[in-house]
Amino acid sequence: MSDNYDVIVIGAGHNGLVCANILAKKNRKVLICEARENCGGLVEESITNFVPQIPLSVSSSLGGLPVKYKAKSTIALSESGQHIRLVGNQHIDHKVISGFSSKDADRYVEFHDKMSSFSKALGSFMMASPPRIMNNTFSDYFKLFKLGMNVRMLGKKKFNEFARMIGLNIADELEDNFENTLLQGLIAHDAVLGSNLGPRSPGSLINLLYRMATHDNSIFGGIYEIDGGSKAFVDTLLDISNKNKVEIKTSSSVKRCITENDKAIGVELHSGEKIYAKKIISNADPRSTYFSLLGTENLDTDVKRRIKHHRSKGKVAKLSLSLNKQPEFINCDKNDLVSRMVIAPSIDYIEEAFNPSKFDKLSMEPILEMKLKNSDQSNPVLDIQVQYASYGAQEGWDKIKDNYVDAVIKLIGKYAPDIQSCIETKTIVTPDDIEKNFYVSGGHWHHGEIQIDQLFMLRPIPGASQYRTHLDGLYMCGAGTHPGGGLTGIPGKNAAQAILEDA
Amino acid sequence: MNRDLRFTALKKTPFHSRTSLASRTNKYYNWNGFTVPTEYSTTELEYTAARNGTSVMDLTPMCKYMINGSNANKFVDYLVTRDLSQMEDNTVAYIIWCNEDGKVMDDGTIFKFSNTKFMLCCAVKIYNWLHDSAEGFDVSFEDATDTTAALAIQGPTSCSTLKNYGAEDLELLKPFGMKQYNINGYDVLISRTGFTGDLGYELWTDPANAENMWDSIMEAGKELKIRPFGMHALEMTRIEAGFIQTNTDFMAAEGSLRPVRMRSPYEIGMGWLVHLNKESYFVGKRALKKEKETGNSERCLVGLDIDGDKPAVGSVIYNEKKEDIGIVTAAMWSPTMKRNVALASLKRPYGIKIKENIFAEIYHPEELEYKKIWAKCKVVKRQFFSPERRNKVPADLYE
Repeated sequence: MSDNYDVIVIGAGHNGLVCANILAKKNRKVLICEARENCGGLVEESITNFVPQIPLSVSSSLGGLPVKYKAKSTIALSESGQHIRLVGNQHIDHKVISGFSSKDADRYVEFHDKMSSFSKALGSFMMASPPRIMNNTFSDYFKLFKLGMNVRMLGKKKFNEFARMIGLNIADELEDNFENTLLQGLIAHDAVLGSNLGPRSPGSLINLLYRMATHDNSIFGGIYEIDGGSKAFVDTLLDISNKNKVEIKTSSSVKRCITENDKAIGVELHSGEKIYAKKIISNADPRSTYFSLLGTENLDTDVKRRIKHHRSKGKVAKLSLSLNKQPEFINCDKNDLVSRMVIAPSIDYIEEAFNPSKFDKLSMEPILEMKLKNSDQSNPVLDIQVQYASYGAQEGWDKIKDNYVDAVIKLIGKYAPDIQSCIETKTIVTPDDIEKNFYVSGGHWHHGEIQIDQLFMLRPIPGASQYRTHLDGLYMCGAGTHPGGGLTGIPGKNAAQAILEDA
Repeated sequence: MNRDLRFTALKKTPFHSRTSLASRTNKYYNWNGFTVPTEYSTTELEYTAARNGTSVMDLTPMCKYMINGSNANKFVDYLVTRDLSQMEDNTVAYIIWCNEDGKVMDDGTIFKFSNTKFMLCCAVKIYNWLHDSAEGFDVSFEDATDTTAALAIQGPTSCSTLKNYGAEDLELLKPFGMKQYNINGYDVLISRTGFTGDLGYELWTDPANAENMWDSIMEAGKELKIRPFGMHALEMTRIEAGFIQTNTDFMAAEGSLRPVRMRSPYEIGMGWLVHLNKESYFVGKRALKKEKETGNSERCLVGLDIDGDKPAVGSVIYNEKKEDIGIVTAAMWSPTMKRNVALASLKRPYGIKIKENIFAEIYHPEELEYKKIWAKCKVVKRQFFSPERRNKVPADLYE
């Protein structure tokens, strides 16, 4: 039995593609096995409103992607028409908020500066492979030391503030600072987005810092985006793969990892075909990687426990409405409609929407983030991210889906009264659908909650950080690893580095 | 049913009406939530019965788990370090199991009825561990601790006693064998196992049969020097036999607060139970393989033969430079062997490469004063007492 390939990547999600290409550029012979017909995985507009936001480090290690910085604008919708429009520029935002409360405007600049310095301090740590104390190596200690120094260098006052805030809930911090409930709601929305937390859940603040670290250290800042969005990103990655001679086998779902002497030596497809390689990398989520690929019979009990307790229940559904004309949002002009529109009028509103989700139930008044696509054309599409659409909802998604969609549309109707008459078709993708169609257990964007106990060297589980699994020769490169999802490609890049280090 | 758990009394075993009647000292202790005698009359007398006649001990508090299901054999092989793939039906095996770091959680015995049915006996409760380990295996568990009455019948005349009780052809049962009987209308499982290092058996039955079984066996052994014995006497016999006890000779991995106190099988003399060449994976295999390959085991558990006749209970062990190299975990003056013996946990290479010139600092209490003794020790085989009759088939019979 000979190694046909140097590396097999399981799953052609964007992280798998990034990882494969970095390895191929280092002259590794790489094969990607993808279960679906198409590559790209969750990088699909039907799943999230996210656009690929590729850090320059990832772009450069792939030989330079056509990414450029794009400013973003956000509008917090209010039923009364008193919307707040923010662009991520301190001067402009200050002026906008002054229109509502001059106190809030000053406080906003202070709050933003503080958060920004924290996210910068965490930033380099966020992007690199996390250290692992168990390794007892100089470089790992140095990384930790650097993080400590980054935070300490903020100064004594800010350091104390950082220590105070790191486990805090976002609601407390916002209520301490601002009086405008719409502004509170908007920031709280971005803090809980994609997570299993409400604004009053401890730890919701770190979620916001995480988001800022991937948004140029700004709450409403822009991102490094690729022209043409998700489709272009996947196409570009496939082009590069072609150039780097990465082989891609689609419609080839992997059944399990083949092991010999407790080392991964290949994969067995569901078709029965066996392919061998020196290293195997899983782009799948941690649960699938451990329980299906590695196999429960090859895991220690403690590891089984950790994987079973790994929190990965998705909470966001994506609703796409194809429209026959542009809907009239109250008090919005054409420029507003290209912004990101958020319906989360207050912290209490969000918390109420969150409450039923604790019990895996659905709120009929969820929080929404909307984007109008093709707004200048005759067939615009309204892309809506619906939060607290629980995975495995108790009501049963099959039964409640239509009612839920209607409830969301009714909710939008409060802000755009004519929405009903504009709708041609509606499609919803729930976390359950993501699990079924994209093989992501729990249907979580990030393959697992971004929380302090599932971050850094604890991501996805203790003992499996730094992109290595418990099985020699089997690695992970998906969003389940540090630093998580968000279409950045960083896990893929870091995983490739780990593999090159081991070679 | 609403009683506050804090004030719930210790449970009584199904033998309690008999053990309490036999107890002259009223000395009991808490074993796994049950109240059982530490000694009935005097420990010395009970010990002597165990070595010269038949001793009877209530084993009911032992944790007993039934493991059923189509994957039961695979599961058991996954759970423990020993290779059980070739284990025959109706036999018993001594086993240990580890956590992911290859640290020992407990030892015990596994009873195999068939590929789909096992019984696990151990000291530390592991119901949760079994369930969490079972992910991916078709098995189910039943905690049979309260629903199985167990009695240990140990000593040179134990086989004859049980034959009188009604266990036909028992002398032909091999060590670590087991056989199902029906005696006095009840099913009784008899295994040739025990914790005294002598000829002996353990009986497993329905709690409804407990009192009848106790009475019948006492009657059957009347002429064979039968006597109930408590935990203190058992402790003496098990030290002589060189058997280890969890949380006495080593800390159970799940229970120790300090990671440095956890021990791998190699560090407690249980390396022979680790089968790294076992085909399937077992819990802790990766860690144990690494330890074996790098040879970085730090401690060892050995037997010590100590000069003099003062038991080295709790003694610290020193090398000739008076450097601390370990501790005695169990010690006694062995009346049978006429030797001062101990089990000790030593820092390697002491105990492995260096077996001489080590010393125990013994504090011997003498009427409110301690006599400090600096006693020379020799590392010896841990199994101090192992008479031929222990493994003899057919077993010795007496009239």
